[in-house]
Amino acid sequence: MLLKTFVTGFTLWSVVLGLAEAGEARTVITGTVKSKGGQPLPGLALLEKGEIHNNVWDRGVLVDPSGRFAIELPEGGQYGLHVYSSGYIYSPQAVRVETGKTLEVTVTLVPEPTRANDPVLKRAGFFPWEARQGKLTYVKLDVSDPNDDLGPQVMAFNAATGRVYAMDPPRKVRNLKANFPQGVYQLEVDTLQAPISPRDWHFVVADHQCNTTDILSFPHEPKPPRVIR
Amino acid sequence: MRAALLLAALGLPMMVLAGSSDLVAEGERWWTQSPDPANPVACATCHWDPAATRGWAASFPKWKPLRPPDARVMTLFQANAEAVTRHYRLCDPRRAAAAITAYLATQGAGVPLSPGISAGQPVFAERLQALAASVKRGRALFARRCDACHRAGEAARALTAYPHVVDGRVESLEEFVERHRGEEPLAWDSQATADLIAYLAEERSRCC
Repeated sequence: MLLKTFVTGFTLWSVVLGLAEAGEARTVITGTVKSKGGQPLPGLALLEKGEIHNNVWDRGVLVDPSGRFAIELPEGGQYGLHVYSSGYIYSPQAVRVETGKTLEVTVTLVPEPTRANDPVLKRAGFFPWEARQGKLTYVKLDVSDPNDDLGPQVMAFNAATGRVYAMDPPRKVRNLKANFPQGVYQLEVDTLQAPISPRDWHFVVADHQCNTTDILSFPHEPKPPRVIR
Repeated sequence: MRAALLLAALGLPMMVLAGSSDLVAEGERWWTQSPDPANPVACATCHWDPAATRGWAASFPKWKPLRPPDARVMTLFQANAEAVTRHYRLCDPRRAAAAITAYLATQGAGVPLSPGISAGQPVFAERLQALAASVKRGRALFARRCDACHRAGEAARALTAYPHVVDGRVESLEEFVERHRGEEPLAWDSQATADLIAYLAEERSRCC
């Protein structure tokens, strides 16, 4: 009898909990990305947590071919939203989203008038660290910049996990305002649980003047950048 | 022309009017054209929508979320100087910054002063707290340096007279503060100058 009461009570409690969870509103930033001419643009939407330009990168999503994206958040607050599309100058904006609410944003991107000043992604690679039996993988990105004014925005995005990373520069940099060095940037990824899948990885770089590379996606073979008219 | 009318309404001398009109036109050129033909990205490339930029001048001084350690409260002139230094790579950004400040002030003529808050933009409590702290420091600074000769209300009313052209020379309020006599100079691009102007802007938004 006691057991029956306990089981019934537990079941009811679980149902109530489940309903409460299902009823709990999600915290989301959704948006539309388009050109000045209204053409939808695919790309990446990446978030900094807290004040914009603090370089505390959190999560991101792919922007689909219809220019739509939705980023689910664990909590509301202040975020820095950065949107990228190949051939366009990236767009940063500070946003505030309330917990349990959906914030809808529209992002309009303008094309790079010339690609001569853009940073250049030369190649990307994935290197398991043999000394630890492939439990760690180095993600590497070779970056140059004709103006030599790279900043901290050397970005890697793992679409499978939704995680965003600012990659580590080849040598230490004084502060975020300084010009970052050209060379091989890298990132250590723990691959103990699952091996890394290069298909999931996307890279993009913007320098201090906002000149932005094309997004480098699998198979990570850079193509000559083109000017969008 | 609109700048001239605005300044005329404020009762400023004609010498200032003529120069300011030219300064506004110069500011529009800096805004729309990069000085570097090899890098044609200008302010207007990204900030192309006048409806979006119209409220900018009225929203200063405010917290500028630049990359650390540069994020701080800035005046519009200081923010413009930072932007043209970074984007146009000018060695001395003051002339361009003053002209762009005049241009944006003209674009925003009639928009009520609202330091720290831009119309249509989210409000961030932390940024307003930083501005309030800046105003507090500016009040103390004014009491120490300026109070003996100037009343805050009168100084606040002069805010919109800058930047201007006098005898062919462009001067921003920040540069005026720098060269104004005092116990020690306040650099035009310093936090202290931003604090002082933040305090005066607060006074002005309250009184005028």
